[in-house]
Amino acid sequence: MIAQEQKPMEEILGYLEGKQKVVVMGCGGCATFYRTGDTKAVNEMAENLTKEGKDVFKMPLPFSIQACDIEKSGVWLEKNRKELENRDALLVMSCGDGVQVVTEYMDEKMGIAKSVIPANDAIGLVGGGPKKFKETCQSCGMCELGKTAGICPLTSCGKGLMNGPCGGVREGNKCEIDENKDCAWVKIYERMEKLDELDKFISIRDPHQWSKAKRPRLFEMEEPVKIDLAAGIGAMKGMMAVTFGPKPKLDE
Amino acid sequence: MGDEVYSDLMRELKAGEYVFTGELEPEKAGDVNEPIEMARELVGMVVACNVTDNPQSFAYVNSMAASYLIQKETGMECVYQLRCSDRNRMALLSDVLGAGALGLKNILALAGDHVSLGDTPDAKPVFDLDSTTLIKLIRTMVDEGKDLGGNEIHNPPKLHVGGAAAPGAAHLKAEVGKVKRKINAGVEYLQTQVVYYTDVLDKFFDELGKVDVPILVGIFPARTFGQADFFDKYVAGVDVPPDYLEAMRATKAIKDKEKKKEEVDRVNIEFFTGFLEHLKGTPAAGCHMMAVGYPRIIPPLKKLME
Repeated sequence: MIAQEQKPMEEILGYLEGKQKVVVMGCGGCATFYRTGDTKAVNEMAENLTKEGKDVFKMPLPFSIQACDIEKSGVWLEKNRKELENRDALLVMSCGDGVQVVTEYMDEKMGIAKSVIPANDAIGLVGGGPKKFKETCQSCGMCELGKTAGICPLTSCGKGLMNGPCGGVREGNKCEIDENKDCAWVKIYERMEKLDELDKFISIRDPHQWSKAKRPRLFEMEEPVKIDLAAGIGAMKGMMAVTFGPKPKLDE
Repeated sequence: MGDEVYSDLMRELKAGEYVFTGELEPEKAGDVNEPIEMARELVGMVVACNVTDNPQSFAYVNSMAASYLIQKETGMECVYQLRCSDRNRMALLSDVLGAGALGLKNILALAGDHVSLGDTPDAKPVFDLDSTTLIKLIRTMVDEGKDLGGNEIHNPPKLHVGGAAAPGAAHLKAEVGKVKRKINAGVEYLQTQVVYYTDVLDKFFDELGKVDVPILVGIFPARTFGQADFFDKYVAGVDVPPDYLEAMRATKAIKDKEKKKEEVDRVNIEFFTGFLEHLKGTPAAGCHMMAVGYPRIIPPLKKLME
């Protein structure tokens, strides 16, 4: 998921200067998970903007409808075309992907050119939870995990070294630039030791092929995924079971 | 812009003289012998020569080292090309200090081609700064004696900074906006990408309007058909006229080396006679002759401008 946090109100109000009538749009994906674009966040934002004298129209997206998934979020945009046309700006409470996908759709498909303003700062692709999350993958387009015992040094090492550790490892195997972070290369060493793969540790890894991350990256699916009703219900059941059902006993 | 003049190039530009500059290309080699030989031939023909920095993202001899050696060996004033593709702001800053310490007097600040276009496509592209912020950095270093963090520089470098402009850019208004931004950042002169069409140049000058910064127009008399063809195919924003390209292609068939040279020169002089005649009527402050490895063409072309 893409972790994110809300921008300071001061910054948001700066972008909205001179723009009186505002649509506040939420996101039912990552932004709902990180509470930066769920219905509650949309309501709070609307309240704050109203206090600042703005005329606000709220447009939350239901859970699982992501702003960046334009086939679905576009339905909400179309449904609210009139509001979008008549207002000065659209504040999107999602990551930058959502903001830009919505902007492009409005420009090119709906013929509505409006200021589209981001409410959030995306922090990155993270995993973990429920409270603590960690960036471990930077979607570089050329996964190196097979060479590094399943720990990505490009992301987890402060210098992104392919052949570490550097000379700056601190006491407690912490990183040169942050004593709260583990040295990725010590972790790689320890995992390789456990796996009896230390021969891999001393082998020389080639420089990473950054050409695979040439921006902007485009991606096309030959056959877009289609979720039928049965699959949708199955997914919902699974989600409910994980969220509300009994926890599996780990000793079984 | 400060009033100090550190280089012959800037002296000529400020004096309003019609300026000619040339271009030298260090190679993938452990020496700079060839550009030094070329520079010797160019002494007296041009006031200064650009020394390319990994052109088209092909990794060659470091441009600062080459500029220093060429200047030292031949007396040819160099314009040290410096691109943002391969260095972060810290490396750029220390390179600018190094250039000053080595006595280089001009830097052409460039964003640079993307690394994926050259011979080391897997390299990580840097672009920590861009051409505008590099220009600003250099001006801050020279004029205020400060780095980007506001730290004081002892004995700041004394050099000038130029920037590039692309008259043939696909979106001219955006390009001109960027050029104006460079002017706001303090660029001291501009040099255009190669232009072959007079109307492309006219549209550029019209769109730009009157500016206080001198502009050198880039021309590229090709020494071989291959050079012209490369520009046409691979250099963004440069269209080589088909007639010129065909005339150059025809020279490939000439077996006799001397006759071939004569014909290549004739094709270039014929084509550029009209172009340079037109150039006299534009606001251009001079002409950057990107005739790499082709110094013999410069005197006859200069003559056309008299």
